[in-house]
Amino acid sequence: MQSDIRDSIRARINSFLKSLYFLTRSPISTAGLIIVIAYVILAIVGPIIVGGNPTIMKQYVNYIPGVGYIFNNPQPPSVRFPLGTTFEGFDIYNGIMKGARLDIEVAALVVLSGATIGVILGSIAGFKGGVLGDVIMRVTDIFLSIPFIVLAVAFLLIFGRTLQSLVEALIIVWWPLYTRLVRGQVLVVRELQYVEASKAAGSSSFRTVLLHVIPNSIYPIFVQISLDFGNVILTIASLDFLGFGFAGPNLAEWGNIIGLATKGASGVLAITRYPWTVAIPGLVILIFVLGLNLLGDGIRDVTDPRLRR
Amino acid sequence: MKLYVYIIRRLILLIPVIIGVTLITFYLSHVNIGMLIATYEGKIHTAARREEVIISLHLNGPIYEQYLYYLTNLFTGKWGYLSPGEPFDAGTPVFVEFQRRFPPTAELAIIATGLVLLMGIPLGVLSAIKKDKVVDQITRLIAMAAVSIPVFWLGLIIIIALGPNSPIPVPLRITAEGQLDWAKYAFTSTGALQPWVFSASGGLSRPTGFLLIDTLYYHDYPAFLDALKHVFWPAFTVAVTSFGVIIRFLRSSMLEVLGQDYIRTARSKGVPESFVIKKHARRNALGATTTIMGLFFAGLLSGVVITENVFGWPGMGTWLFDAAENSDLGSVIATTFVFTIVIVVANLVVDILYSYLDPRVRLD
Repeated sequence: MQSDIRDSIRARINSFLKSLYFLTRSPISTAGLIIVIAYVILAIVGPIIVGGNPTIMKQYVNYIPGVGYIFNNPQPPSVRFPLGTTFEGFDIYNGIMKGARLDIEVAALVVLSGATIGVILGSIAGFKGGVLGDVIMRVTDIFLSIPFIVLAVAFLLIFGRTLQSLVEALIIVWWPLYTRLVRGQVLVVRELQYVEASKAAGSSSFRTVLLHVIPNSIYPIFVQISLDFGNVILTIASLDFLGFGFAGPNLAEWGNIIGLATKGASGVLAITRYPWTVAIPGLVILIFVLGLNLLGDGIRDVTDPRLRR
Repeated sequence: MKLYVYIIRRLILLIPVIIGVTLITFYLSHVNIGMLIATYEGKIHTAARREEVIISLHLNGPIYEQYLYYLTNLFTGKWGYLSPGEPFDAGTPVFVEFQRRFPPTAELAIIATGLVLLMGIPLGVLSAIKKDKVVDQITRLIAMAAVSIPVFWLGLIIIIALGPNSPIPVPLRITAEGQLDWAKYAFTSTGALQPWVFSASGGLSRPTGFLLIDTLYYHDYPAFLDALKHVFWPAFTVAVTSFGVIIRFLRSSMLEVLGQDYIRTARSKGVPESFVIKKHARRNALGATTTIMGLFFAGLLSGVVITENVFGWPGMGTWLFDAAENSDLGSVIATTFVFTIVIVVANLVVDILYSYLDPRVRLD
């Protein structure tokens, strides 16, 4: 069994390297790959470069004796503040450099947990079928009907606004997609001849699923993961933008930086006077999600043998 | 299987789904008992009132009894009261607030869906016809960018582009007596009194609750134009961030259909190309696209929730976040329930529509 798994893994790695070669032949996919790698590097070194607490934005305040602390209006980009500041004196450059780490950590946790649950439940539902399979799929349908942003808000309100409840809420919304996807894949793969051969050779269902069914239905899951990564990041940013994320106003998170700009005394319309407080952090999110989507599309193209020439 | 048999079968299959949804909202509302009691207390906060609520919800009884009473309350419209933390309308029944908040959201979602279809279908078809040409590349880039843009950011960029006169209800917070004003949404960016935006205020009866229809009903054309301006930009924002999915799916299903034998047959017997595209290919590709409409609609509603907050549109999304900010459990659970039921019903309608368009799915 051990050597079987090793062989199986070695074959996958070879095919992965081959896919990577095909991926880098398309300029658009390469661009996606470079963007994603750049953001991962930013997540690792960003907080180290700017220093300080990696989850809290640096705030510049003026202290006037007898008056107290004065929070400045947003400052345009300058030598002192490379990307300007937003309301209450938060430095945008500082926040952007620190924000990547948190977003990538949360998104990875959510997507990988969701995919794991989805692979397990999906292969049970697809391979075994029967009443259990039907029950799993009906539950999946129910969870797919809840808009993720609404469930996340309900969860954060009921279980407290912590990082843990945010991650739990997002996992609860994300596993059904994978379950449905994996079940569809398994239903196709299950009928193929090598699965039949494996059964005929006397291997157990568990072994057949682990060694033959899951590895051969895994590529669409990779595509889904790379596309969903961006969606999770957009969801976290939206929650923080609307002021119902998991921490206070000084959290170094891209959506939160944009949100700060709309929470001045004059409401949303203040941003027409300070456009950089919105435009710059938004572009940072947009480019990252675009990179992830380009990469996901690229992976789909190279793993579809009909398109690989 | 006849169409009506299929519909009846689908309606029976709906029952377990609705039970599942109520189980989830039951769990969410009963896991934090303190918040639940506060929801049903209303304005009065005494020990006696608390006891009354506990008895009326049967919180001392076994869990299945609690669930049964929860179901009864849910389907008779007893959804609790807005918490005293709400800046205005504290103590209003949640169900009444829901009736005020639902029409604006429905209006926004319907207009956004219309815009998606209006922009998405031609682009998707065009992209498939001109495969690998410049038009196709541009369309695919647009679709890709559309799924990557944060909804709220696009809304803010539109506000920046429109300048200080953007159609946003400016919050009017304090009255002369120093009280919070009930008419938070009553003033528009132009400064003109706009009693339409917030229903049941200003002593107007609202026949439908839909802003565009009500203003026309009262023959108030300036208000209609203003309402149009207010609803267009949020709807446009939602539409742009949701139509990428439709374009991409329509393109691939269109390409698949165009490779079929009957298309070749139609072309070879001399049917004009535009007729082949419109009658033979597009109709079938659109049929396949209805299968993803359920998931698409769930995404669209999430976009609506966020966009409403950006543009201050007084619907369910704004309500959800206002309520969450004030720890108003009743409103948050009500929004969760309503949105889920809306999506379940949308899925049902889409399935029936698909089985009508493509009778093959009724065979099994």
